[in-house]
Amino acid sequence: MAEIDLNNPEIDVPAELKQQIAVTTLDRIYNWSRSNSLWPMMFGLACCAIEMICTAASRYDLSRFGMEVMRPSPRQADVMIVSGTVTKKMVPQIVRLYNQMSEPKYVIAMGACASGGGPFKEGYNVVPGVDKFIPVDVYVAGCPPTPQALLHGLIILQKKIEGEHIPDTRWYKKCVVEAIPIPILGPDIIDPRHFELIKEETHKPLPVVEEVVEGGETA
Amino acid sequence: MNGIGIIKGLLITLKHFFDTYIFDFGRKQKNLTPDDKRGMVNSSGLFTIQYPEEVLAASEEFRVIPFLVYETAENGDHKYRCTSCGICAKVCPTQCIFITRKKDAETGKPIPSPEEFYIDTDKCMNCGFCAEYCPFDAIKMNHDFELATYVRGDTHIYNKEMLGKPVEYYAKIRPVNYALEVAEKAEKAEKATAA
Repeated sequence: MAEIDLNNPEIDVPAELKQQIAVTTLDRIYNWSRSNSLWPMMFGLACCAIEMICTAASRYDLSRFGMEVMRPSPRQADVMIVSGTVTKKMVPQIVRLYNQMSEPKYVIAMGACASGGGPFKEGYNVVPGVDKFIPVDVYVAGCPPTPQALLHGLIILQKKIEGEHIPDTRWYKKCVVEAIPIPILGPDIIDPRHFELIKEETHKPLPVVEEVVEGGETA
Repeated sequence: MNGIGIIKGLLITLKHFFDTYIFDFGRKQKNLTPDDKRGMVNSSGLFTIQYPEEVLAASEEFRVIPFLVYETAENGDHKYRCTSCGICAKVCPTQCIFITRKKDAETGKPIPSPEEFYIDTDKCMNCGFCAEYCPFDAIKMNHDFELATYVRGDTHIYNKEMLGKPVEYYAKIRPVNYALEVAEKAEKAEKATAA
């Protein structure tokens, strides 16, 4: 796959030099160093956070993968583990934290709630999946996922990073990446990008009432 | 006297500390079964579970996503135990099970077998009610937890083929439950022949 392509830069090394020279690509070295120093953000939302804490503790030990430093600041973190139910009240803060994270940044949706709303999917106060607001790289199923399942998710994320190609990744492109607008808590969550449209719609006169009156007259 | 409790607690910690080394020293000499690996239920001491290389042995009642039990017929067909009665779908607290009953193509009469069976893993909360209530022992809880994916969409809604597992698999992961089930069935069959 992509990983193997990155490993073989298609440069012929003479047979007598094969013992002395190792040829690799910048992508490969860069991805290798980055994928083995992923720092998660210390950020727990619900019961999945307990499993995340357990994963970081000595029994399962995240530091075996170079992830021992759980950073309390988003500016120093590489991966955000959305561990738990994402309520409508919490979404603005999650998006804000995501915007504050320095690029390259990755998101793991841990558990059923973060990936798709879980048991509260049809609830009045829960967002059906954090991927409605921020791009998610890995979804870990389970309710809650065991520490080993979370580790599996992290290993999958490492594999994804190892397959990345520098010019293709979205943070190294020339174009400016727009920050995700912070949703506003209202009767239902509002995306500020649609402000103009919402304004237009709400300032319209109420045509429904007129129609009913007209209908009544004709009937 | 004050402080005795703290000393007792610290002694337990110290005991675990030494047990770890004693166990590790001992395991080099003995031929150990998989259950006696470091950090397993039978081992004393505290260990880090070296996850990708060494997986913690799941206890029998460990549960993740449910699976459907089928019996393999002689011609290789999968005969699902499920009769699509819909009890699991009714009892599911999160309403994540969707079943369509199979219909006879000619007469249009329903056949006790599922045409389609879906479980939305984004909603499933692994409570095990479906397995608990199923009168035909057709749905059981799986032990496989390595379910992380890059995309959500349809891949998180498991269909009948993805959920189906042979009886042998069930017997392997839940040996005690399976033995009980077989014994119960044999008893019932005995009663039926006697009557």
